[in-house]
Amino acid sequence: MPAQQQNQSPKQPEPSSDNTTHFGYKTIDKEDKVPMVAGVFHSVAKQYDVMNDLMSFGIHRLWKRFTIDASGVRPGNSVLDLAGGTGDLTAKFSQLVGKDGKVVLADINSSMLNVGRDKLRDKGLVQNIKYVQANAQYLPFEDNTFDIVTIAFGLRNVTDQDMALRSIYRVLKPGGRLLILEFSKPEHELLNKAYDFYSFNILPKMGELVAKDGDSYQYLAESIRMHPNQETLKSMMDNAGFEQTSFKNLTGGVVALHKGYKF
Amino acid sequence: MLQQVFTASIELLINKVLALNTEKIDLKKLEQKTLSIFLSELKFPISLTINANKILVSGLTENVDCTVKTSIKTLQVLKAEQQLTELIKQNKLDLTGDIKVAQQFMQLAESLNIDWQSELASHIGDVPTHKLMQLGKRVAGKLQFASKQIKADASEYLVHEQRLVVTRSELEAFNQQVSQVSKHVDNISTRLDALTKGYSNT
Repeated sequence: MPAQQQNQSPKQPEPSSDNTTHFGYKTIDKEDKVPMVAGVFHSVAKQYDVMNDLMSFGIHRLWKRFTIDASGVRPGNSVLDLAGGTGDLTAKFSQLVGKDGKVVLADINSSMLNVGRDKLRDKGLVQNIKYVQANAQYLPFEDNTFDIVTIAFGLRNVTDQDMALRSIYRVLKPGGRLLILEFSKPEHELLNKAYDFYSFNILPKMGELVAKDGDSYQYLAESIRMHPNQETLKSMMDNAGFEQTSFKNLTGGVVALHKGYKF
Repeated sequence: MLQQVFTASIELLINKVLALNTEKIDLKKLEQKTLSIFLSELKFPISLTINANKILVSGLTENVDCTVKTSIKTLQVLKAEQQLTELIKQNKLDLTGDIKVAQQFMQLAESLNIDWQSELASHIGDVPTHKLMQLGKRVAGKLQFASKQIKADASEYLVHEQRLVVTRSELEAFNQQVSQVSKHVDNISTRLDALTKGYSNT
């Protein structure tokens, strides 16, 4: 992607035809997205946590804490941490639901799942965690299974996000809630410009330096720009059947936490 | 996200302190119990949950076992279990939920006994620790003395030199005089009423 094009103001997804979708700024066949995203995450899995800390200056830990606080989780709950990656949310949920509860760490990518499993086992968290390799669009769980479903920094990588939301809705119990933590659109123009500069000029270089993979972090920056903004995602949740949907901007809208209930 | 910064820091601190305790603390009695504290000085709650001998700190407030609403000042004086009911009666503390959970958390706080000296010695050695402790004691003593001295000097300056503030005895004498004047006024008022009544009857 030429530098000039990279620094354009954030794009919003244009309607794609039935058979195409976005991979960053590229338009690709839908069936190609899963292996291409898989390639990105196979490549960065081992350095994922280090890069998260570096890229967000550690703030991702606070965003995740905010998500936990908003989840209303309690002992005995069943939680699905979708696209759970290296298990940051799973670790906290596992402690909060206790031995009577259950947390399923699901990710489509086996490398991420392996890193997550090793990390959680090293922390001594084994009792109530299950690991499932799953595609968010076709969740392999029975209807009405979970009290809480979270998906943190994962939805934008899903090929058909509407389908994934419907799938999540199906596996939630009535009264259950979905929390989507995802990069979003900064509220202020100045922050937006600074964020653009950082994402397209500094982030890929950091990726090149630390994870030896600048392209994956170029994809990260592009996929963030292509992800629906706060209001669009909220209406997508409404369309999937969620009720009382709302969102809360964090760090000036760099990230937003969307919440919706199934009644 | 100030709340998350705060809870993350508190969690780290509490678990470090627990790890330093001289005797291993058994938290099994409180496993999966949550105490939520609302301090009047803070805009957000602090919830403490016990899990696997660790304390998790969060902002979760739904379905907690016990909720305490109080102030930092009251928390500082809250040392014995018996004080709980006294403070509730004095409206300094509001408790809802299982009182046992609050009591057990208090017992936990009371049972903390950390040997800071030996902890420090394990990091920097015995002699430097001894010297550092002595220096600390001396500095603390001097600070205490200096604080007392400053208070006394300030009081002397304000009361006797500048006469901006009156002494306690002067204030008491003034109050006594005010009471006497008030009594006199009452007597005169009663007498005037009686005279007015007598005059109107004639």
